Formats: sequence, structure tokens, C-alpha cells
Amino acid sequence: MFGASNGVPGASAENPGTGDMREAFVTSQLADTLTIIDLTTMKSAAEIKISGRPAGIAVAPGGKHAFVTSPESKELTIIDATARTVVKRLQVGRGPLGIAFNPTDNRVWIADWYDHKLLVRDGGTGDALGEVTVGKSPSGVAVTPDGRFVLSADRDSDAVSIVDTATLKVTATVAVGGHPFGISIDSTGTRAYTANVTSNDVSIIDIPAKKLIGTVKVGARPYGVALAQGRAFVTNQAAGTVTVFDLASLNIIATIPAGSYPEGIAASLDQRYVYIACWDDNTLVRLDANTLAVTAKTTTAEGPRAFGQFLR
Amino acid sequence: MVRYLALFAVILTLIPLPATAHGPSRQKVIETIEINAPVEKVWMVVSNYKDMTWHPDIAKSEAMDGYEPEKTKRKLTFKTGGVITDKISAYTPDNKYLSFMTEEVDLKTMPVSGYSSYFTLTDAGGKTKVEWKGAFYRGYVNNDPPPELSDAAAIKAVTAYQKKGLEALKAKIEAAP
Repeated sequence: MFGASNGVPGASAENPGTGDMREAFVTSQLADTLTIIDLTTMKSAAEIKISGRPAGIAVAPGGKHAFVTSPESKELTIIDATARTVVKRLQVGRGPLGIAFNPTDNRVWIADWYDHKLLVRDGGTGDALGEVTVGKSPSGVAVTPDGRFVLSADRDSDAVSIVDTATLKVTATVAVGGHPFGISIDSTGTRAYTANVTSNDVSIIDIPAKKLIGTVKVGARPYGVALAQGRAFVTNQAAGTVTVFDLASLNIIATIPAGSYPEGIAASLDQRYVYIACWDDNTLVRLDANTLAVTAKTTTAEGPRAFGQFLR
Repeated sequence: MVRYLALFAVILTLIPLPATAHGPSRQKVIETIEINAPVEKVWMVVSNYKDMTWHPDIAKSEAMDGYEPEKTKRKLTFKTGGVITDKISAYTPDNKYLSFMTEEVDLKTMPVSGYSSYFTLTDAGGKTKVEWKGAFYRGYVNNDPPPELSDAAAIKAVTAYQKKGLEALKAKIEAAP
């Protein structure tokens, strides 16, 4: 019943555990599908058809709903995460891509790539709650755990906008590397990390100070960043690797082969595991954040991106 | 007004696109062919980045020396007159693997942006299986593209280009003594 191999309840040598996460919600862009993978078995549990080239995903740990963006059909899809059914589809902006959700206030933040805005929606009803103009082609979006600030990686501005969520005003714009795409915020809400596609590096932002405080060279065409065990894990699309660096020293620890076109990356709640979607291999890979070994791999529908927080 | 919009649309199609401009939806095309020749022989042609005139659409192929990822660049002039430039992304001769990505693309030649080509060669009992994988975006970087610059147009063009290229590669290598 309670395995002894690594102290995780329910874990055993045969089942290494999931990092306290039940499922991965993986957007398969080429297949117009959301693949829901059961992380205890590492097998696909359900596939939901979502038209419009779904890419962005936001779901909270144990969350009631999952939110998916389809940039081609300009839609937001709200999914009942337990029933695994579509609750609602709404037209949102002109190019919804990056998406983030904060359960503290039930607000969904959507980056509109073509309108250069962040659009705010109610997580239950999908009702429009406001919008804020940010930089050019906002891609990744992330909210601080306390819900007070939302940050957008403004790809074509080479900058990050820091927005006060109470006033919906941009309080700062921080210049980062070339074409920031994925952005992640740490559990303290004080540090943000952007994967910069054209400069092949990661920019580190001190959120309260509103400044760039570090840059780390990674692999070719980085996509996203996950944080676990005092380390950053960065997917390098063109290199097929994940760069791991130490958050304190910024030293590179390792470069791990992950698969072809590793993209969406997220860490489990207990930080034991990092999950990576490989767009070209059509796989979801599980990486042990401590040993840096790939411990499991499974097949997804065609073209998985999982752009956002995709672990429930 | 309509005339100005039409003129603008035409101008837009003639401006070469930098590789960094593309939309949010990447497409994929995989074409494979089996060539009746050993891997080394096929690799010699495919890995010769400087000379891609084995592709029937290409009139002139000019590249820098070397195989440095992100640094070595090439200019391909097509028989129709259009130009596409690209850059090496990865080169691992031990695995018979080469990839390169477009930088500037004449949209009339190919309605794509950020087009990455990945060549993988594997031995098939003395013959060679060549896989040409293309990952690319449509040429129109905004939403609601006109039909000639849509995802469908990009997929159609890349599929034809890769198919034609592999067939010509096979014919050339198999004809050689």
C-alpha cells in the first residue's frame, strides 16, 4: 500500500509516483486534440477534440476546470477537468495563445498574439473582465501565486510586461533576451524566468524590483522553463535537449537529451518530477528532477505543445 | 479602397520574411524514400550543404564554408528567380543527421516562414532510407490569411518540394556509377 522506495505515499519501485499530480493536460496542436494523460499509469486516459489548433493550456493542481486556447479559431475552451468534457467555447480576441489561471481569484489571463493585449476572463463563466495592452506579440503568461501580478513575455518587443492585476495597468516593462516565449514564476512570486528563442538564453527577473538580474546561456531555440529543487529546467527545441541550471549560482548542471522538439515543460507540485512534451516525437516525458534521469515516456496525439501550466 | 488593399496584399507577398516572424501554429511534413545505394554514398550528397542543386527547383546554391550551427549560411536561387536563405541548425555526421532552417523566404517561391528541414539517413540492408522532415509555419504571419498564404498552401508547397527533392535525389544517386 505505502511503498518504501522513495518516501512518496503510494510509490513503489514499480510505480515511482507522479509528484502528487494526477494528470497532464497536453494540447496536441496538429491533431486538434487535448490529450489527458493519467500520470499514475503514464497512459492516455482521454482525448478531447478541440478545433482551431489548440496550443495554450492552464489548469491548477486539482483544479475544477482546464482552459485551452486555439489561436487559429480564436477560441478559449473551458473544460470540466474531472468529467473531461467541454463546458464552453468562446471567441476571444484575434490570436489567443498564452494562458494562465490563478485559482485565488478564478481569473484567466490570455495573451492575444495579434492584438498585443492580455485579456481577462472569469474562470467559471468565461465572461470578459477587462484587458490591458502590453508589448508586441505577447506569448507566455504567468501569474504570481498571490494573484497580485501577471507577467507577459512580449515576444516581438524582447521584453516582459509586469501588470498589476487590481488596476490592470502595466507597472513595468523589463528588457530581456531575444524573443521571450515561455515565462515561469517561482513559488515565492519574486522571480520570473523567460525562455528567449532567438538569443538562446534565459532571462531572470526580480519581480518586486522590476529588473533583469541575470541571464543564462542555454541550448538552441529555448521554449519554456520549469522550476524544481532549486533548479531551472529549460526545453531547447532545436537541440532536442533540456538544460538544467542551478538557481542560486546560475551554473549549468547538465544538458539532457529529451526527444525531438521538446517544448511545454512543467514541474510537479512536490518538485520531484518535470514533465516535457516533445512536439515532433509526440511524447510526454517524465524526468526525475533530482537524478535527472528520464523515468517514463508516453505517446500523445500529434504535435504536443502543452504551452502553460499543464499538470493537474 | 479595395484596390489599395489588394495592392498592399501583393506588396506583402513580395517582401521576404525574416525567419523570426511567424504565427503560433507550426506544421509538419514528413517525406521518405528508399535509395538503392549505401548510406555513405547518399550522405555524401545530402550532407554537402554548399550544393543543393540536386533539387530540380534550385538553380544556384552558394554557402559559406563549414558546418557551424547558427553560423553557417546559404543562399538558394530558384529556377523561377526567387531566393531563399537558410542557416545550419544541427550537424552530426556520426548519426548521418543534418538540419537547417530558412532565414529570408521569397513567398512566391514558397509560402512559408521559419521552415526547418531535418534529414535523417538510416541503413536498410545495404540500401538507404532517407527521411526529410519539415517543420514550418505558413507565410502569412497574421491571422485570417489569404488562401495562397494559408496553412494549407504552405503544407501543399512543402510536401511537393520535399517529394520532388527526394525523387530527384534517388534518381541522381542511383544513376551514378
